[in-house]
Order: sequence, then structure tokens, then C-alpha cells
Amino acid sequence: MGEPLPKLRVEGLTKRFNSLEVLRNISVDIHKGEFISIVGPSGCGKTTFLRIIGGLERGSAGQASLDGRLIDGPGNDRGFVFQQDNLLPWRDILSNIEIGPEIGGYRNNEQRKRTLKLLKLVGLAGFESYFPRQLSGGMRQRVNLARALAVDPDLLLMDEPFSALDAQTREIMQTELLRIWEEGLKTVLFVTHQIDEAVYLSDRVLVFARRPGRIHEIVNVDLPRPRPLSLKRTAEFVAYVDHIWKLIEDDVRASVLEERG
Amino acid sequence: MSANEGLLANEAEKQERKWISSRFAGFVRHHAWSFGSVIGGLALWEFVSRYVVGSKLFLAAPSQVLIAIFNLWRTGELAKHVETSALEFFLGYVIACLLGILLGFLMATFTQCKQAMQPWVSGLYATPIVALAPLFILWFGIGIISKIVVVVALVVFPVAINTETGLRATPLQLVETVRSFGASTGQIFFKVALPSALPFIFAGLKLGIGRGLIGVVVAELFGARAGLGQLIQQSAETFDMPTLFAGVTLFAVAGIAMTSGFAWLERRLLPWRE
Repeated sequence: MGEPLPKLRVEGLTKRFNSLEVLRNISVDIHKGEFISIVGPSGCGKTTFLRIIGGLERGSAGQASLDGRLIDGPGNDRGFVFQQDNLLPWRDILSNIEIGPEIGGYRNNEQRKRTLKLLKLVGLAGFESYFPRQLSGGMRQRVNLARALAVDPDLLLMDEPFSALDAQTREIMQTELLRIWEEGLKTVLFVTHQIDEAVYLSDRVLVFARRPGRIHEIVNVDLPRPRPLSLKRTAEFVAYVDHIWKLIEDDVRASVLEERG
Repeated sequence: MSANEGLLANEAEKQERKWISSRFAGFVRHHAWSFGSVIGGLALWEFVSRYVVGSKLFLAAPSQVLIAIFNLWRTGELAKHVETSALEFFLGYVIACLLGILLGFLMATFTQCKQAMQPWVSGLYATPIVALAPLFILWFGIGIISKIVVVVALVVFPVAINTETGLRATPLQLVETVRSFGASTGQIFFKVALPSALPFIFAGLKLGIGRGLIGVVVAELFGARAGLGQLIQQSAETFDMPTLFAGVTLFAVAGIAMTSGFAWLERRLLPWRE
């Protein structure tokens, strides 16, 4: 008996936009129930990587497979949480969350029960018939998360979902996300540019380097769960953050200088 | 006992009436300046036409216009004219809206279609089409068809242009979001593009009301058997100013009623907008 099949297997994934190589030869195995973060300087291709896994873009070479099936497009087996909440302004919260099941053609009473449970899970019970514009940024981001969870995805793909929130709301959302993850034991791929966010949430952190985008190092975060917010002030936690920061510091400096022109 | 109940019912009715009258009073108070302006304007008009101009040949007073409308109604002529104009407007407007939305959809969806249609749509939208009304009368006769054609020609372009603009303005990140759930092209259209274009389409339809009414009047002025425009034309020829103003007033009322009806419909159908 060999090793169990990983949830997500990425092999030699490469992405080029014309002559620009955005990702080079990414290979990684991600197991069921793992919480994986991806950090790296801007321009390291972390969002492109996530979009390829989501099926929104295609790789130029190599492949990614989910439960052994090759990924060749978007689908209901993955839930994508976008950086902006992207809620449909003309739909109330309930039907925004149910858009995935609706597209998949399996919206029914069973699903409705699940949706209401999800609303409770993200702390928005009672807001079913509100329109997105009536909600705060943090609440809308919870709806964004609930929408991705509504298709009961095997893999949750999150693209800097908290970057538009203020610092306090962001911290609360991090703990909420962990609570939800611990309840459902989803596999999560989480892109962020905040190192402490990555360390706080993850089992492993993929540290990307830029030009071309590639995996610089995979950091195992051996911190006990459940993790209270106070964990962020312990020496072990800070040591992890420090270590990752040193890995990408030169890259970040180069990208900042480059942006300045 | 029963007397007591009757008293209670009476009391409730009184409360209700008080509530309604207080709401009405509130409405009037809230729009005091508008009411004052309209009433003042009508009074000034009445005064000027009676004591300054003093001749029905040049200016009819509001009271005379009201009497003219009453007389038209009594003879049954009013119904005939209103029915004709309403039918022309309604048929032309509905055809133009359906056609315009279809055209806008085609232009937003197919690049070749857009390129082929754009010069014609932009050109004809900018053209004062009412100038072609005599030509349409010549081609399609003095019956209802020529009027419908004029209305269609006036209404179809703003509807098409707004529909196209609305569909094109669909936020790409919303399209991407439903695509991430595996939505098909048809699902993307019906669940994202169309609802997000609806406010634009509504604006086009609203614009079309005014243009359609102009189309009806102008087309009827150039030759018709019946209709409010024909009534206006005929009254002008006989210097019957009260009846002429009656026709104009009825058009104005129709325009105001339809536009506010549309605003109401918009609030009902697009409650998610502020």
C-alpha cells in the first residue's frame, strides 16, 4: 500500500504570459483537511497559481489534479473566495449564497437548510433578505465565504479575502475562518501578503519567490490548535514570521524598488 | 353591547379618516412649494389670458381649457382621439422596445454586429427623425401604420443604445465569480449581464416615452383621421385655442402619468438600488 492520494497534486506547473514566465515548475502535494497559505512578494504569481487551481486560467505546462482528476476548468468541487466580495447587488443575501447550487442545478429544500446553517455559521442569521449594499465590508466578506462554502467544495480557494478589511475586522475574520475550518475540515488554499496571517492560519506556508514565480521554501507551522489570537504575541510565532520574512525580504525590496521605477 | 361595538367601529373609522387626512396634509406640507408654484402659475395664466391678452384667439385660460375637455368628453370625441393616439403610441412603443432590446443585445454580444450597426444606430439616433414624418405618411398612408412607424423610429435607438451600454457595463469580476462556479454562457447572461443591465434598459425605456409621444403628435399633425395630434391641428386651423390647449394638456398628462408610473415600476422591480 502506497501513500494515500493527495487532495491536490500539482506537478511541474508552469505559466507564461507571452514571453513573461509567471510560474516555473511548481510541484506540491496538499492533503485533505490541510490549511495551506501562500505568501510572497507582489508579482510572484501566487494569485495566478490560485486561479489555475480554480480553473479560471490554464497553465502553459504541467498539471494539477484534484482527487486524481485533472483540473481543466472551473467547477463546483472548488469554492473560490475572491479578494473583493463580488456579491451580486440585485440579489439578497440568501440567493447570493445559493448562486453556486443554482448554477449546478441542485437548489432544493435540502440545500436551503444547508444555506441557513451556513448563514448561522458565518454569523449572519437573520440577514437573509438584506441586499449587499445594506451590509458592512466585514459582513459582505462573510457572505463571500458562505457562498463558496454553499457548494460544499472539496477545496476552498481564498485570494487575499481579508485584505480590504480594517485591521481589527481582519483579526476577527481570521479567528472566524479557523473556527469554520475546524468544524468542516475543508482543505484550504489561502493566498495572502500578510506573513503573520499566513502563520496564524496555516499548517504549512508555501513561500513563493518572484521572477519567475516558484516555491522558495515550504514552512511547516508546528503550533498547537485551536489557536487563540494571543498566540501572535508568543516568541515561537514571531520566530516563524521572522523566518519567512527573511526568506522574501530581498525579493520584496526588489519589487518595491522596481515599482518605484 | 352592540351599540358599544358600533361606537367602537365608528371610533376606528374616525381614527382611520384622521390618519388619511393627516397623511394628505403631510404630503401637501412636504410639497408646499411645488403646490404653490403650480397653483400660482395657473392663476397667473388665467389672469393674463382673461385681463391682459383678453382674446381666446391667442391664449386660452385654464378654465376654458377645462371646459373644452369637458365638451370633448360629452360629445364622445375625446374617447375617439385618445383611443387612436393611445393605440398608436402603445403599439409603436412596444415594438420599439422589443426591437431595441434585441438590437442592443446583438450589438453587445457580436463584435461584427456592433461594427455593422454602430454607424446606422448612432447616425439615426442623432437625426431629427420627426423631419421624416411627412415621408412616412406618404409611404404608409394617413392611417395608424405611419404613426406606428414614426414612434418606432424615434424610440428604438435610445432603447438599443442603452441596452448595449448596460450589457457592456457588466462588471467583469461578477462574471468571473459565477464562472468560478462553472456557469455556462447562458447562465452568465441571465444571472449577471441582464440584471446588471436592467437599470440602463429602464433608463432607455423612460427616455422612449417622451420621444414616442412626440412621434405621435408630429405624425398626426402631418395627416391623420383621428388622434390628439389631429385634434390639435384641426383646432389650430379653426383658431379654437381652448381645444388646442386641451389636446396639449392631455398629452402632458399622459407623459407625466407614464413617466411616474415607470418610476414606480422601477422602484418595485429594482429594489436593490438606492
